[in-house]
Amino acid sequence: MKQAVVLAAGEGNRLRPFTVNKPKAMLAVAGKPILQYVIESLAQNGIREIVLVVGYRREQIFDYIGSGERFGVKIEYINQERQLGTADALMQAREIVDKEFLVLPGDKLIDGVTISEFAHTETNAMLVKKMENPMRDLVVTVDEDVVKQAIRRERRAVSYSREQGVCMVNTGIYAFNSKIFASIEGEQTIPVALNSMLSGGNRLKAVETKGIWLDITYPWDIINLNNTVLRSVEPGMGGTTEDNVSIRGQVSLGENTLVKSNSYIEGPVVIGRGCEIGPNACILPFTSIGDNVVITPFTQIKNSVIGNDVSIGAGSVIQNSVIDRGCVIEDNFGAISGETEIKINDGYHLVNIGAMVGEGCRLESHIVARPGVIIGNYSRIQSLKVISGKLPDKSIVM
Amino acid sequence: MCGIVGYIGNKQAQPILFDCLTRLEYRGYDSCGIAISGSKLELCKDAYRVGVMAKKTPPHEGVLGVGHTRWATCGEPSMKNAHPHSDCSGSLAVVHNGIISNFKQLKQQLIEEGHNFTSETDSEVIAHLIEKYYKDNLETAVERALDDIIGSYAIVAIKAGEDKLVVARQDSPLVIGVGDHENYVASDVPAVLEHTNRIIYLEEGDIGVITDVDIKIKRKGVYAKLKEHKIAWNIKEAQKAGYEHFMLKEIYEQPRVIRDTLVGYCKEAELISDLELVRDAGIEDLLILACGTSYNAGMVGKYVFEELLKIPVRVEYASEFNYYPHSLAKTMAIVITQSGETADVIHAARRLQATGCRVLAITNVVGSTISRLANQTVYTSAGPEISVASTKSFMAQLVLLYWLVISYSRDDIKRQADMIMEIRQMPQKIQQVLNNKQSIEKCAKYLAGYENVLFIGRGVNYPIALEGALKMKEVSYIHAEGYAAGELKHGPFALLSKDAPVVAVVARDGTFDAVINNIREIKTRGAPVITVAEDENGVVNEISDFVINVPSVDYIFSPLVNTVVLQLLAYYTAKAKGRSIDFPRNLAKSVTVE
Repeated sequence: MKQAVVLAAGEGNRLRPFTVNKPKAMLAVAGKPILQYVIESLAQNGIREIVLVVGYRREQIFDYIGSGERFGVKIEYINQERQLGTADALMQAREIVDKEFLVLPGDKLIDGVTISEFAHTETNAMLVKKMENPMRDLVVTVDEDVVKQAIRRERRAVSYSREQGVCMVNTGIYAFNSKIFASIEGEQTIPVALNSMLSGGNRLKAVETKGIWLDITYPWDIINLNNTVLRSVEPGMGGTTEDNVSIRGQVSLGENTLVKSNSYIEGPVVIGRGCEIGPNACILPFTSIGDNVVITPFTQIKNSVIGNDVSIGAGSVIQNSVIDRGCVIEDNFGAISGETEIKINDGYHLVNIGAMVGEGCRLESHIVARPGVIIGNYSRIQSLKVISGKLPDKSIVM
Repeated sequence: MCGIVGYIGNKQAQPILFDCLTRLEYRGYDSCGIAISGSKLELCKDAYRVGVMAKKTPPHEGVLGVGHTRWATCGEPSMKNAHPHSDCSGSLAVVHNGIISNFKQLKQQLIEEGHNFTSETDSEVIAHLIEKYYKDNLETAVERALDDIIGSYAIVAIKAGEDKLVVARQDSPLVIGVGDHENYVASDVPAVLEHTNRIIYLEEGDIGVITDVDIKIKRKGVYAKLKEHKIAWNIKEAQKAGYEHFMLKEIYEQPRVIRDTLVGYCKEAELISDLELVRDAGIEDLLILACGTSYNAGMVGKYVFEELLKIPVRVEYASEFNYYPHSLAKTMAIVITQSGETADVIHAARRLQATGCRVLAITNVVGSTISRLANQTVYTSAGPEISVASTKSFMAQLVLLYWLVISYSRDDIKRQADMIMEIRQMPQKIQQVLNNKQSIEKCAKYLAGYENVLFIGRGVNYPIALEGALKMKEVSYIHAEGYAAGELKHGPFALLSKDAPVVAVVARDGTFDAVINNIREIKTRGAPVITVAEDENGVVNEISDFVINVPSVDYIFSPLVNTVVLQLLAYYTAKAKGRSIDFPRNLAKSVTVE
């Protein structure tokens, strides 16, 4: 197969506040959005003609991915006007696809190895993977390499919808031929369409992969995603380091980044371009830092994702947290990590995380964030506050 | 990025090559060239844009040739560094897009073997390598030469006496356009779409020979079965990467352009040495010279220099300055030109230098005329700008001007630190404006129904009102005037009516109350008001018909966010009116005549 349709039109509303202003596929860890990992995996497997179905906040995809030349692929964009589901998204590509093509989700982490065999498989196939306690709407029934049910239970708005134990899940990666369009026309999601296709006596092959495939559903999943990606980070020294900087493990520094004296960086860590770190800053394992970020003295960051254009004040401690682009955090910020229960529209979740901070927030000095706090985009919090719970976008805490 | 083309067939190659190159200018345009193989090999190249080069090149007979348009990465834009490159004998021509990472070693080795190099480019080694391995046919020599090369490339090679194009690609794009008794090669499909829509995509590692009737491509050592794709004509728009117009693409690139500019210049440690000239000059007064949009950037610069450095600044139109009898600057002038080729600006810079004044140039094009002329040049990292209406390069000019001032304003260290932090957040703030496009588009649709619009602002946002009006004129053809808000009552009040809406830019600075009063006066006279202001629930909403909210920023940086609103306003108004947005009537991208 030479062509792939990548679906990147979705919003991912359970990931708010991080997806209010960007498509889910553009959530970034280790300096790359999820969609880039997918495109690079395709290119690795010699699939260089990519039809990208875009919709929600598509300009950010246009701007970052462009013509695809940077990644050695040729991108053709198709716009899905309303986000009606994956079947509708795929239908948009009907006029321009070859006889045979792959379909992939643009918002799941997919490794090159994951699809290396599947990319050359016969069509009418689904790539499946064994997962522990997966989301219920991903679970499929497979019998001897044949899919029996492409979706067992559709997602319901309420209820905590995880299946217990190890299950086979649908990765959302398919090999189709142009006959598929007749089956999905008028349907909303591909699995539902496949179910009715299967009950009509058609056959769908199941191919299992043991490669990396990761879905993110909730804000804190970004930390898992970051962990997975950083495990295979390539070290690189684009920037400069002053005297007495310790760098251990796999660390990648972007061009024009300056690490000032007495800072300690322990990989895996990725730091972007044009950053200023330290002096005396401590960046501990599993941390991603974007471009144009300032981290001032005596600050410690561990197992966290820091977006582009963020400034973090002196004496701050940040753990298991996600700080989105453009935040200004003044001195002595503490994001405490610990076990907490969080309610997101479909239920309660017990997690062990720090703070989830949306883009463009301004946190004045000496603020303490309790575990699991979710701060909406563009919020402002005045100094000396202890914050907890979930703050909507543009909150002002005074 | 560069663009390459090749042609072989039954028509004269020269006009076809230039035509194809024009369509690749989005990939770069600081220099270009062609080679035609007729009775002998003719090579014409220089540091011109394609349109100028096409006019300057005398016609050469020949139905076989290659061409190149360049955006310098290795070696400045100049005649000798422009492609095509030739070997020592001059019978060979090669165009290349990509980067050869081991070119230094190869070049050294070739020089030792007696080859003469004429350029500073990495690409030239390909020509000499082919010469080195050439025995009796070109494709074998190319294949052998490419074995020595590490890096990325798309190349087309021709040799006098051999009626064929030899092509190869590795990690750089290349496509073949299949015609009737003719064939084309290009970096991208839009280059050849005017001539054919039958396209063959080359794959990594392909090497091939193309004649007028035959295409043979070697893939992994064997001749590949080739698949022709019929291209829908609308893919001409491919280089816009999904956007409808270049202008919109460039507006949306601005967060990234700001970040790139900051990453390039704003490492504190290097900031002063980069802009040494400013410090050395010990400036007492400053002259800023520019035309068009760059003039408006200069006006913002004046405000910021005077506010933060407390030195008097004059801003002049270069076209006017050239006719002033005296009024020359004493110590230092900053000239701003996106293209680096603006004739009025260049003339003015020469005149200044003749009197001993030092010139600092701000331009987007590496190696442009102004950069060769100026005592020092700082580059805006905006990338090629295609839309005639300048957006992202205006933004990059502003960011650089701010940076010049901030790096130099050491009187108040706390203020300086705050400004550095604030300017680093600008990519995010601009993104916030872009995310608000719905409300801007709504206002634009409203404005599209009128024939006159007034833009007003005060203080540091007065130039933004001028720029907003300029953009509106340029792309929507609506008559728009930019005015200092306080000047309205000295004449333009006579224009106010329900048929002449006013766009007011309001900043949270010392001008706030005054502008609010100005808006009240306008409302009293029945004109509809669209206000661009920070989010607040007070007086602005009461006195405006529409409010476009912008994120809150330090007032000194408010021009950056406000200008993006006005860019989008102009764009969507032009779109609602169905204008040719990227290429407005009667306008050219860079004005190289006085």
